[in-house]
Amino acid sequence: MIKDLKVSYFLALKAITRGNKGTLILTVLILALSFINLSFIPSLLSGVVDSMNKQSVNNLFANIIIEPGEDETYIKRVSNLQSKINSVPGVIGSSAHYDVGAVFSYDEDRNGKDVKTGSWGVRSINLEDEKRITTTYQMVVEGEYLEEGNRDKIIIGKEISGTYGSELEHRSLKGVKVGDELTLTFNNGIQREYEVKGIFNSKNVQVDTMAFITEREMESVLKLNDRASEIIVKIEQTGEEDRYIEKFRSMGIVKEEIKSWTEYMGMAQSMIKSFAIVKLILVAIGLLVAAITIFIVIFVNVVNRRKQIGILKAIGMREEIIVRSYILQSFFYAVCGVGLGFILMNFLIVPYFIAYPLSFPFGLVNLIVNPRDLFVSSLSLIVASLIGGFIPSWRAAKESIINAIWGS
Amino acid sequence: MIIKAKNLTRTYPTKIPCLALKGVDFSIKQGEFTAIMGRSGCGKSTLLHQLGLLDIPTTGELFIDETNILKLSEAEKSHFRLKKLGYVFQEYALSPELTALESVYLPLMLQGTGKEEYLAKAAEVLGKVGLDKRLNHLPGELSGGEQQRVAVARAIVNNPKILFADEPCANLDSESSDLVMKLFQELNQKLGQTIVMVTHEPEDKKYAGHIIWLKDGLLEREEK
Ligand SMILES: Nc1ncnc2c1ncn2[C@@H]1O[C@H](COP(=O)(O)OP(=O)(O)OP(=O)(O)O)[C@@H](O)[C@H]1O
Ligand SMILES: [Mg+2]
Repeated sequence: MIKDLKVSYFLALKAITRGNKGTLILTVLILALSFINLSFIPSLLSGVVDSMNKQSVNNLFANIIIEPGEDETYIKRVSNLQSKINSVPGVIGSSAHYDVGAVFSYDEDRNGKDVKTGSWGVRSINLEDEKRITTTYQMVVEGEYLEEGNRDKIIIGKEISGTYGSELEHRSLKGVKVGDELTLTFNNGIQREYEVKGIFNSKNVQVDTMAFITEREMESVLKLNDRASEIIVKIEQTGEEDRYIEKFRSMGIVKEEIKSWTEYMGMAQSMIKSFAIVKLILVAIGLLVAAITIFIVIFVNVVNRRKQIGILKAIGMREEIIVRSYILQSFFYAVCGVGLGFILMNFLIVPYFIAYPLSFPFGLVNLIVNPRDLFVSSLSLIVASLIGGFIPSWRAAKESIINAIWGS
Repeated sequence: MIIKAKNLTRTYPTKIPCLALKGVDFSIKQGEFTAIMGRSGCGKSTLLHQLGLLDIPTTGELFIDETNILKLSEAEKSHFRLKKLGYVFQEYALSPELTALESVYLPLMLQGTGKEEYLAKAAEVLGKVGLDKRLNHLPGELSGGEQQRVAVARAIVNNPKILFADEPCANLDSESSDLVMKLFQELNQKLGQTIVMVTHEPEDKKYAGHIIWLKDGLLEREEK
């Protein structure tokens, strides 16, 4: 057995070192490209998911969302609750919001004609708390962010203003500028005028369809105090949400609902599922290409060598030894291809996308290489190559000696 | 008797079945140099393939070195060929990426011979066929005659009981042919190598001590 393997290894080694260098380089290159093809799509998907997640955490949900308990509209005793939460080690901060629907109307020419309207959600924020948690304050593209004491000022997302490449432009107020007046009619019937102080673009449709006013202003509209529609909490270690949720419950926050941001990622989740099918198809094609490449290389090789194979069998070499030598060759090609692909992927393609990320509607995306995906790609590429090498060599080795040497 | 053939037949299953061997009986003694002769198409190669375990007779009996060949499995035949038989064909078919030395030591490697031993033995045998200056040449760097001598060296390196050759000189010029034939003669006379060779060169008769004449798949006559 060992001596047979030695002979197979010997034949494979000589075929590789003394064989055609052009074929060798080309084969390895094709396999490297197959490898990149196999690992690129999963990495891109990981990048997309990661970017979407970061978006949601940074702009919308933070890590943990606390909502009113059943049959309640608002969380009560908010400042008390927040100081409890903020005292937990590892909590970066928390921010309470009031969320209220309102009808916006925009009379551009101030003459009562051609008044544009639409309804969106208005969120109130405590400026100091909010800055510690979401990055919306960095996303103002026109005008300025709210300031303490701003009572008649509002900032709106680009999907409301209908500018800055808004995606739902047809439903927007079509061209609101900083300094324009908006009339808001809140759900409770109260009507107030606000001057647009800023327009923000977070690249997240859910955020960009909101308007923000200060907490003081909202409390005066709603005639409420120390309540909230939700409290969002940011923690140091994303991924540890469940542990903190447990902690909060154990501290007596039991009436309210406490959820992790991941529970709100349904859309992303279904997108990932659809992508999984695309990924599967692309991976299958990639593997087929690799297997066929090796098949052709070995096939051409054995077709040109029928006589030699016949003679090797005539002098007493068993079929398995011949087949194994070709499988070893295929293995060598595959390992080189995977190695080269790995190097190109990690030292060229990934750094390139980190330097020049792709711009998606929800933010910038770069490639995130998951070691498990890489391992699976490598392994399946090697297996595909071995199968690609096995079939033609096995068929050639099976041929009778007489046919191999003298057959047409 | 190293070879005993009894009523050996081989029918090729073509559309109109071709009776290439129609029942031949003969035996060959150890140390004999046997030539199989006859017209083209009379079944010489077919007979050699049966004797050399490269093909399976349709009917008949065949004993080589006291072994009933028709009872062996493929793997056993493979092993038998490796241990006891050597071949030189008209098409020498050396692997293009193996040097002369490597081609020759390959059968020894297959038998599990140690590296030092197979290197020495292969070099020695290549010396015997006059290629001691060509050990590390690839087939592409050798002439046809030299390649055929490498093939002879590969065939005899494992000291086969019988050396089979099918028109080994058909592709060679007369000078190289003479070299190969002299080599065969020397192997036979000095080392007592049993040789079975197919030829249609009448002048090769002079090397052989035993001639089997075939005609239309039948044994016509034997000359000793
Ligand atoms: N694989 C095969 N399939 C069918 N018929 C075959 C096959 N090999 C040989 N034959 C036929 O068997 C007969 C004997 O062929 P063989 O090759 O033994 O002749 P030969 O005496 O060696 O001839 P030559 O001197 O030309 O080499 C021929 O009629 C040939 O056509
Ligand atoms: Mg012939």
